Amino acid sequence: MSTETQEGDDLEERVANFLRRNFPQIQMHGGSAAIQEIDRETGEVYIQLGGACSGCGISPMTIQAIKSRMVKEIPEVTKVHAGTGMDGAGGAGMSPSFPGETVDDGEDDEGPQAPF
Amino acid sequence: MTEFDPAKFEDKYVHYFPELQQAYKNAFSRINERYDSSLVHAIDQQVLNESEPFYDEEDGFWIELPDDPYDRITGVVVDRERFETVLEAHVEAIESELERVFDV
Repeated sequence: MSTETQEGDDLEERVANFLRRNFPQIQMHGGSAAIQEIDRETGEVYIQLGGACSGCGISPMTIQAIKSRMVKEIPEVTKVHAGTGMDGAGGAGMSPSFPGETVDDGEDDEGPQAPF
Repeated sequence: MTEFDPAKFEDKYVHYFPELQQAYKNAFSRINERYDSSLVHAIDQQVLNESEPFYDEEDGFWIELPDDPYDRITGVVVDRERFETVLEAHVEAIESELERVFDV
């Protein structure tokens, strides 16, 4: 009866693992990448970069890298919306209907520590 | 110095992510020293977050920007001419930093 939840958690975990594995620089540089929402029906994922990522000068390119790579490497993901929490996050046709203020600083949002 | 392979730049975020980071960081620092910081940050976060670097043999590196970049800017009051000057400088800085990082 909990298969749906099971599936969802698995996808969230894979998204989190993807970020940790491929973008350790985010955390190494004092930033964070929090998963705000995953729409499992449309395959859209909402990511928020925070901490030192806001305005570090690399984050725009990092955002593009996350968008580009995640849809290629996680088949269920069709589109990634990512921002830094600054004003620009709302652009590009993105409709920020995040239900979640559940993620704050993203400090302990991703469970176990990355092994590096 | 990284040996640059144009074919691998097709998948740039896999093969050249650290080099891209370096180039973008250098460009941001250069522009941030020369122009108003809040405008530079706005361009960085609101325009460049929807841009992408490309490479071809003829033109070298170039940055594809989103449509109507001026309309994307919020939170900063700036006239269009000033905005375009700073954006152009920032894009040129990224392109030249890419050339430098990849020695192309």
